[in-house]
Amino acid sequence: MTKTFVCTCEDVLLDEVRRAFEAGNRDLESVKRYTGLGTGPCQGKSCVALVARELLRLGATPAEVLPFTVRPPYRPVPLGALAAIEPDDLPVDDGVPVHPAAARTPAAELAPLPARADVVIVGGGIMGLALAYELTRRGTKDVLVLERAYLNAGASGRNGGGVRAQWTTPTMIRLARRSLELCDRFAVDMGVNVWFRRGGYLFLAPTREQVERIERNAELHRQEGLRTRVIDRAQALEVVPELDPSRFLAASYNPDDGVVFPWPFLWGYAGQAEAAGARIATFTKVTGFETADKRVTAVVTDRGRVACDLVVVAAGAWSKEVAALAGVALPNRPTRHEILVTEPMKPWLDPLVSVLGNGLYFSQSQRGELVGGMGDPLEPEGVVQGSTLRFLARFARAAVDCIPVLAGTRVLRQWAGCYDVTPDNNPVLGPAGFENFHQLSGFVGHGFMMAPAVAELYADWLTGRGKHEIFEQFTLDRFSRGPVAKEDFIIG
Amino acid sequence: MPRLPTFDPDCTIFLDGEAVPARRGEPVAAALLAHGRPLVSRSAKYHRPRGAFCLTGSCGSCLVRAGGLPNQRACRTPCQDGLAVETQNALPTAQHDLLGAIDLVYPRGLDHHHLMTWNGLANHAAVAFSRRLAGLGTLPDVGALPAEGSAPATEERFDALVVGAGPAGLAAAEALAEAGRRVLVADAEPAAGGRLRCRLGLPGEPDLAWAARAVAKVTAAGGEVALRTAVLGLWRDGGSPLAALDADGPPRRLRLVRPERIVVAAGGHPQPPAIADGDRPGVYGGRGLAVALAEHGVVPGRRAVVLGEGAEPEALAARLAAAGVEVRQLPRAEGARVLGRARVRALEVAGERIPCDVVAIATPPAPATELARELGAEILLDATAGVFALRVAADGRTGVDGLFAAGEVTGVMDGARAADSGRRAGEAAR
Repeated sequence: MTKTFVCTCEDVLLDEVRRAFEAGNRDLESVKRYTGLGTGPCQGKSCVALVARELLRLGATPAEVLPFTVRPPYRPVPLGALAAIEPDDLPVDDGVPVHPAAARTPAAELAPLPARADVVIVGGGIMGLALAYELTRRGTKDVLVLERAYLNAGASGRNGGGVRAQWTTPTMIRLARRSLELCDRFAVDMGVNVWFRRGGYLFLAPTREQVERIERNAELHRQEGLRTRVIDRAQALEVVPELDPSRFLAASYNPDDGVVFPWPFLWGYAGQAEAAGARIATFTKVTGFETADKRVTAVVTDRGRVACDLVVVAAGAWSKEVAALAGVALPNRPTRHEILVTEPMKPWLDPLVSVLGNGLYFSQSQRGELVGGMGDPLEPEGVVQGSTLRFLARFARAAVDCIPVLAGTRVLRQWAGCYDVTPDNNPVLGPAGFENFHQLSGFVGHGFMMAPAVAELYADWLTGRGKHEIFEQFTLDRFSRGPVAKEDFIIG
Repeated sequence: MPRLPTFDPDCTIFLDGEAVPARRGEPVAAALLAHGRPLVSRSAKYHRPRGAFCLTGSCGSCLVRAGGLPNQRACRTPCQDGLAVETQNALPTAQHDLLGAIDLVYPRGLDHHHLMTWNGLANHAAVAFSRRLAGLGTLPDVGALPAEGSAPATEERFDALVVGAGPAGLAAAEALAEAGRRVLVADAEPAAGGRLRCRLGLPGEPDLAWAARAVAKVTAAGGEVALRTAVLGLWRDGGSPLAALDADGPPRRLRLVRPERIVVAAGGHPQPPAIADGDRPGVYGGRGLAVALAEHGVVPGRRAVVLGEGAEPEALAARLAAAGVEVRQLPRAEGARVLGRARVRALEVAGERIPCDVVAIATPPAPATELARELGAEILLDATAGVFALRVAADGRTGVDGLFAAGEVTGVMDGARAADSGRRAGEAAR
């Protein structure tokens, strides 16, 4: 059938660009995410100029059609080749691209901000948008979400999409299990596909200590009703035949954990929240807060001032600097976390695989790409989103050690997002500094998977439907009250 | 007449089991072109027939399984006797793919965001089914991987790195070499010369003999022109720019260079035509066709339409005509439609149906700004050409310390001007 393509790698039609623009995706970064163009084997080399021309024709401004952030490598490169680089020779730095000029919609093209809103949520990531949606469902409809860039610009659009119930405390297990249930229903409830697939999570334990740890966890999981099993090498090879069995002793496997495609979660929550009356202002940066006595009275932005009754800071890695604008000091330490994606392969890997101890994890996306990351113990605090060669080398070595045949799998693109790390690896929730200045931050790399469940509870609490124990447990002042128990099952 | 007389095949490769005569070292895509087989792959979603388009490793439309390794670009994979090439993402083969029905079932395209979101069971089935269809190649054959781990990459010392061995890159490298600098010139192509390899003899453009002299000067000054070597990125990892280079080999080798100065002269990416069914096998980048004709005698078809205005398309049209191809040149093709499914049969434009089996796109490429942008170089929208180009001063300075750019990465220009700009950038970088 006759079709006109803009991106032949991902089979994106010219009409899809037009429809995306009409649906409000004006800037090239958003159009890329909504249509998938430029994410295939050529990485936009054949389509960016064409799409920019089309967007300009449709009425976009030059600032909106700047090419999306450049991502190494320039050409797909096998993990086996990258493994030749000794990562320890490469110190950590801020990475590339340096000072990326991002496509953005100028203020003149945006709908004016309202003078006031009942609730202002700072941060249009999954936390903020899910909360906005849950609030509107509970009758609190005058909600304004402020996002500094485009939707999916922060960690919500940069994570690996893992959702697991394998946690170490009953509270976290129950929250995650609720999120898994909501993921199951999301496409139908919210009207947009999120490609949720329960392929399981396979944690490989390379040492005796790690084996004891997964055995302890599995016992708790059994008590909580999860199907987690500690399996031996042979059983693990049944789940993933390509594993190198000499690299682990045993594994923890829960077949009910899964992976999603993160981006549409934000579109789903945003779309439903807006349909119910909430407003979402992208490309709007919070620059300060007006306060009186114990209350915040208004949020000041680079596009004007919004008076409000309640502020919720759900800004992920930016939460610390946003809270500081109100004079509130959070102990959060934003920390970069790097990730990459390979060329798409036919389905071969069911679970998300994670190696305990070195921070490696990877899964196969719905489109067939391997999506994986690896934390770096040398990573300093800071909101930094550049990409390093050091990461490629570290990931390549660890991945090929884990699954030798990955040496022939080619990396398409690398990027980075930030974990919002807290001293005990648990979130910061509830009022902080002011009685109506709430925190919904500090999720240490698992905010995406916790958001659907946490947002329900938070909206319940804010609308007087009961206060869940997490809002007693994870207050900001817990850090000043004495020692806290640390969650230790963090990946990456 | 698939090849010019003096270019006899000297080996055989196999495409899905079918013997294809080839010349050792030429790209698989060129051998298939000479064999009259433009269809080499199926597209990701609609399983549309696809062929190589750019022929220069830029686009992603010619991915095949070669020698047991998935997702290899047919235009980058050199032929060797007995090489087994298999098509991917097709049932059973790209030539006859039953899944091509998807293209017919969704004539106006498939809205994957809202596919089957009306019911939970239907949605779960759709997710499971689309996963089966997704992806291109399958895992590599274990035997196809190098048995030993690659040799460790160590940082090599060069005074300068020049990305691209076209007229701009070689002119820059020559200027640097004349100043006694040890230069590493890296180019992903198997031969030096860049666009000069088209041998179109455009006015004022240096020829390949000049390119060979420039290469000799670089080597004489202690430098190196590394071919089949792609610059993967300009990272920093410690402060100053660090380049990682992927040398195809064999054996494949990762190289690291931390040069004091870098000249990006990476040229441009061929741009597919934004016309209806412009993705059909038989639509090619003009320069890729010219190189295949000049270096391997590949005559791409019987009747060609050359799209583009100016000296370069005219010279390409003349070249093809001299090779016995019936050629029609069109300045532009707005509103045009390609006819034919498994391969181009005609181009329909302004009510006229022009029979052809080749459409050569000879419009200017989009500047390859990626590497310079990694280090913070700025781009500008060239509104006339509709492409983004690096913003540079007259001497190639990008505003980023030690980073220069020249040639087509800085805007649309002919080979003569590219060489001039390369010379200036090389002199400024000395």
